[in-house]
Amino acid sequence: MTKVLSIEKSSEDGLKELLKFLLENGKVKGVVALRKMSEDGAISYSLISSPDDVESTVPLFPLMPVNLAKQLSLLTLMEAATEPIAVVLRPCELRAFIELVKRTQGSLENILFISSTCGGVYPLKMAVEGNIGERLPEYGKALVQGELVPNTRLACQACEYFVPYTADITVSLLGNKGIEKETTLFLNTEKGESIVEGISGKFSEGDLDTAAIERIRSKRRTEKEKLSDEAELRNLGIDEINKTFSRCIGCRNCSKVCPACYCHVCFFETETSQHGPVYYERELQKTGCVNMLSDTIFYHLVRLFHVSTSCTACGQCADVCPVNIPLWAISLKMGESVQKTFDYLPGKDMEEGLPITTFLPEEFAGIV
Amino acid sequence: MTTNRKGALSPAKGGAQKGIIDFAKEALSQGCFDAVLIPSRVPAGDSFAYFLIQNEAVLEGATPLSPIMPVQGARVISSITRRGKGKNRIAVIMRPCEARATIELAKLGQVDLENITVITMDCPGVIPLSDYFKDTGKGDKVFEDASQNWNSQPMRSVCQICDKFSSVGGEDLHIGTMGIKSDSILLIPNSLKGEDILNKIGLSPEDGIDDWEASVSKLTEQRKKKRNQSNEGLRSDVEGIDGLLQAFSTCINCHNCMRVCPICYCRQCHFDSDKMKFSFDDYVTRAEARDGLRMPTDMLLFHVGRMLHMSLSCVSCGMCEDACPMMIPVSQIFTLVSDKNQEAFDYIPGRSVDEPLPLTTFEEEEFLEVEQSYAGVSSKQEGQDD
Repeated sequence: MTKVLSIEKSSEDGLKELLKFLLENGKVKGVVALRKMSEDGAISYSLISSPDDVESTVPLFPLMPVNLAKQLSLLTLMEAATEPIAVVLRPCELRAFIELVKRTQGSLENILFISSTCGGVYPLKMAVEGNIGERLPEYGKALVQGELVPNTRLACQACEYFVPYTADITVSLLGNKGIEKETTLFLNTEKGESIVEGISGKFSEGDLDTAAIERIRSKRRTEKEKLSDEAELRNLGIDEINKTFSRCIGCRNCSKVCPACYCHVCFFETETSQHGPVYYERELQKTGCVNMLSDTIFYHLVRLFHVSTSCTACGQCADVCPVNIPLWAISLKMGESVQKTFDYLPGKDMEEGLPITTFLPEEFAGIV
Repeated sequence: MTTNRKGALSPAKGGAQKGIIDFAKEALSQGCFDAVLIPSRVPAGDSFAYFLIQNEAVLEGATPLSPIMPVQGARVISSITRRGKGKNRIAVIMRPCEARATIELAKLGQVDLENITVITMDCPGVIPLSDYFKDTGKGDKVFEDASQNWNSQPMRSVCQICDKFSSVGGEDLHIGTMGIKSDSILLIPNSLKGEDILNKIGLSPEDGIDDWEASVSKLTEQRKKKRNQSNEGLRSDVEGIDGLLQAFSTCINCHNCMRVCPICYCRQCHFDSDKMKFSFDDYVTRAEARDGLRMPTDMLLFHVGRMLHMSLSCVSCGMCEDACPMMIPVSQIFTLVSDKNQEAFDYIPGRSVDEPLPLTTFEEEEFLEVEQSYAGVSSKQEGQDD
């Protein structure tokens, strides 16, 4: 059983009340959450320090403009947070940040993590079209009923890990019939429990509705199978890879927005990866024809190889691809199979070592 | 407008694209160059890329008038020659904005033109990547129909207002397709390299180019008008800090506009460098100083910084806008600013490889009016000091 705090307000308003309480009472110095940046509805993450600014936040808005893990890494890379802050983020963002911390790209110190059982986010393209607002009632309805939310990111529709693992506080949303009237906050950690002391609300004990969670998980699994078939990536051999990436323009935006791709300078942007004239002369001699974009497949394979143990399938890569390559499905497939092999789920547990840095004498005996 | 330029008609029975390929094949076989760099369909068939081609049979399938611009050609030339010119003499057949960016990169030390022959053609524009990849078959058809009628409506926003879709001056040879009989193309040499090619393939530039020039000027005038209208229309929306903040409000700081830009050649952008990493306390101080701190930070500083760095060389190719996941009208905003900046320096990027970059050119008598206003400020201050 977990301690539960209930606030008699809709989930969004209750969560905002919690954030305001934390700032007003000096329990945190700042809050990082999604915020409405302009009247026309542009949404961005924002670090706020005044309780008055909580009103303009939209902490549960179903959009992921950036994967927050990357921003938290920047925030805590030079030094750990010197004062407590609270961040509201999605389960895949939290997992991605845990992975970054394991890779010494940030610090968990002084951060209160607030996450939710996640219904998914809408594609960025929909934010561009500006009609997410109209879809919110539909989103809320599907959320309450524990259904797949239509038109969300394909990565979200196929996501099984919508319950946060290491959040201090979890907002119960998925399959929760009371979200319009009551905010249900699971206080998972001691930090979560102690920081809300003094807030007005009802305290009790309870658990997430595991039956509902399992029901949703099985729906997502079925959807994942279906979407993987549609993406035609079941048998990802060299021919399929060639075909899938053939339209890549080599912009590498998938790596720039990826929380697992943290290298300061990507190998593919170094001098080492640049060809000189001699290379082109040699290639030309061999075949009489050189595709000037041929390195893109090499890039994608290496990237998959590098991120596969830490990929949390957030889908940011697919959302920013200018030529609509189904990168989410490829990353998911690659990530799942590699992670299964190592019996590792990225971001699940801070104490669990990265597979690549963990040496087990008796591992993969068959291969050796 | 009349010039002394002349051209040579070359047969193009199978249409302009076929005519361009036939010309390239002939020039290749006559040893005018060792290889041709030209857009072609990728093997999977659903997109296009630049191919460096020596094999004449492969050249047959090239698509110099491809419906999209997946990569700006200037970047391709830079990747081949940035580390030195190499032994191969390469002819690149590209769109005018790509040629102009190539020439700018040569001035910026990122391209070596010595063994490169730049060949351009009249350009109908390109379809935005996002439109094309919705349905590539339909995209091919839309492009074909539109380009035959010089209808720019389905093209990139900046293609629709492009007034430099033809010969701009910096290329070695231009291929005219407008205003001439549809069964031929017009080869117009523009440098010794260009003249040499015509010589070698047994053509001499003796044909008049008046009809072509008349067609080009007519469309240029139309486009100029449209461009001014578009710029003016956009100006009121994006002017000032508030206007810019609004225009870029959905930006996610992915910097993809910069990475696909042919002019943004820095190996490490300042905005991706350690200089843009701050301590936790810095973030909090900035958040406290105003009503919160947007994350990612410094969004507008990046765009304005980039604008400042590349606007004098911006060729309005539209790559930035095509690569923006948030569909911000980046290239239209940059066109508005670049046009003004370039006008102030009487500079047209890519017009001539011999024309120095404005920022590396010192003129004693330049921008006196700017100096004047500062002179006023300083004398006033001196007066106060007294």
